Amino acid sequence: MLKVENLVTRFGHVVALDSVSMVAAESKITTVIGANGAGKSTLLRTISGLERPTSGEITWFGESIVGLRAEEVVRRGIAHVPEGHAVISELSVQENIEMGSLFRRRKYKSDVAAAMDEVYQLFPRLHERRNQLAGTLSGGERQMLAISRALVSRPKLLLLDEPSLGLAPLVVEQIIDTINTLCRSTGLTVLLVEQNANTALGVADHGVLLALGKVVADRPAAELKADASLRAAYLGY
Amino acid sequence: MDTFLSALFSGLSGGAIYSVVALGLVIVWRGAGIVNFAQMGQAMFSTYIASTLIQNGYSYWVGFIVAIFAGALIGSLLDLLVMRPLSNKKKTELLSSESMRAAVPVIASLGILAVLQALAGIIWAAEERGFPSPVIREGFVIGGTVMPFTSFDIFVIGTVFITLTITTLFFKKTGMGLAMRATALNQEVAKLSGIRTNHTRTLSWAISGAASSLAGLLIAPTSNLSPNSLDLILIIGFTAAVVGGLNSPAGAVVGGLIVGLVMSFVTFYLTPEDVFLSILVLLLFVLIVKPRGIFSGKDSRRV
Repeated sequence: MLKVENLVTRFGHVVALDSVSMVAAESKITTVIGANGAGKSTLLRTISGLERPTSGEITWFGESIVGLRAEEVVRRGIAHVPEGHAVISELSVQENIEMGSLFRRRKYKSDVAAAMDEVYQLFPRLHERRNQLAGTLSGGERQMLAISRALVSRPKLLLLDEPSLGLAPLVVEQIIDTINTLCRSTGLTVLLVEQNANTALGVADHGVLLALGKVVADRPAAELKADASLRAAYLGY
Repeated sequence: MDTFLSALFSGLSGGAIYSVVALGLVIVWRGAGIVNFAQMGQAMFSTYIASTLIQNGYSYWVGFIVAIFAGALIGSLLDLLVMRPLSNKKKTELLSSESMRAAVPVIASLGILAVLQALAGIIWAAEERGFPSPVIREGFVIGGTVMPFTSFDIFVIGTVFITLTITTLFFKKTGMGLAMRATALNQEVAKLSGIRTNHTRTLSWAISGAASSLAGLLIAPTSNLSPNSLDLILIIGFTAAVVGGLNSPAGAVVGGLIVGLVMSFVTFYLTPEDVFLSILVLLLFVLIVKPRGIFSGKDSRRV
């Protein structure tokens, strides 16, 4: 289980996260919603080690992971898929996926191939295009590729940043469905950041609403979804 | 016919050396995203180490192997002492713009070059010295005529071919090679994939340092050795890397051979004075027609 306590992250004078506390419960989907600039991405980037927090604590199964480099955080089972279909366009699809399991190739040699087969089964289109450069893929395929790269590291917690960004509704649905199935069938814990609150709350167990770097609501997803006044005040619909 | 053969072989053997120089540049570019102008400084330094060992009675091969390892060591030290601290500087401060951040390591590499040359001058004095070749440098004699190529040329071409094969296989087929490519292309995604990017960058510097030492060892018998004797070679090698495409080890070798052949044919058929003009024309031509180099894919980064 991931626990965030009083987390503060600043960029110069800008306070991006203002004493954020939340948990991501095991084998559940927790979603962090909020308007643009609410600090959602910064929260994920701080958890995964890409940003250093000014103060506060992040614990992962009781162990503090504050101050660890991103490459060490992944090795502890927290995989981050950052915003904007983060793949390396100059590498092939296969190489992009392989990249995510490089650090496991000695210790878990036999499982590396198995993990690769699993993501290809999950996204058969990537298998068809495995020898193409990632730069030639469509937006949806790139998002699938970024998720695959994260999954072959065999994470216990998946941090997903705006997987729906810039994608057609049908593709978004497919990706969200896949995440949902993974969580329910394999017990993967998911922390999903979304601007598209409706989609996110539809699939999540728990929802955290951020506004200007502060937590303004932390409730079961269904309750958040039903609360018309919160929606109107913070999400604008 | 004789002139043609002479030009061809001297072009291939000279080109092979530029290939190694270009290969060293390509490795640091691919592994760390930096154009390393200190490279021939590193090569000069480790060749001096070999030269000192050989003068003190050790065999050529002892000097050769020690120089290759010294080159790798110098490369990794440069990364650990200069490049890594520079890249860890906060994004704020002076280095706010992307182009500034890209320029700083290049300027640092020029500084390193100056320091290495000054150090070599202090340690070994600045006068030129000769450097031995492992094989005889006289033309083969076939049917009573002296052919325009020597066993040293064959040694050079063979060594370059082996080095190219090993580096290409390393980058394409090994996990560490993939990790190095990923680190150079997108450090954030590489880190998020669990790649220890600090280690892969240092390794790129070490491998490139070893390759540059090899270039130094292969050039020194023909050019002699002084703190500045390899400066021009770097410029030619850089041209070769750009011609072939900074991203491609195979391109580096082909680029090196093209540059070598152009230089040699201009020397034999026109005048030696036009050599540098000719490679500048070649550079311009490639930059206009195929700015990312002959061997680069369409998605690779700009030079």
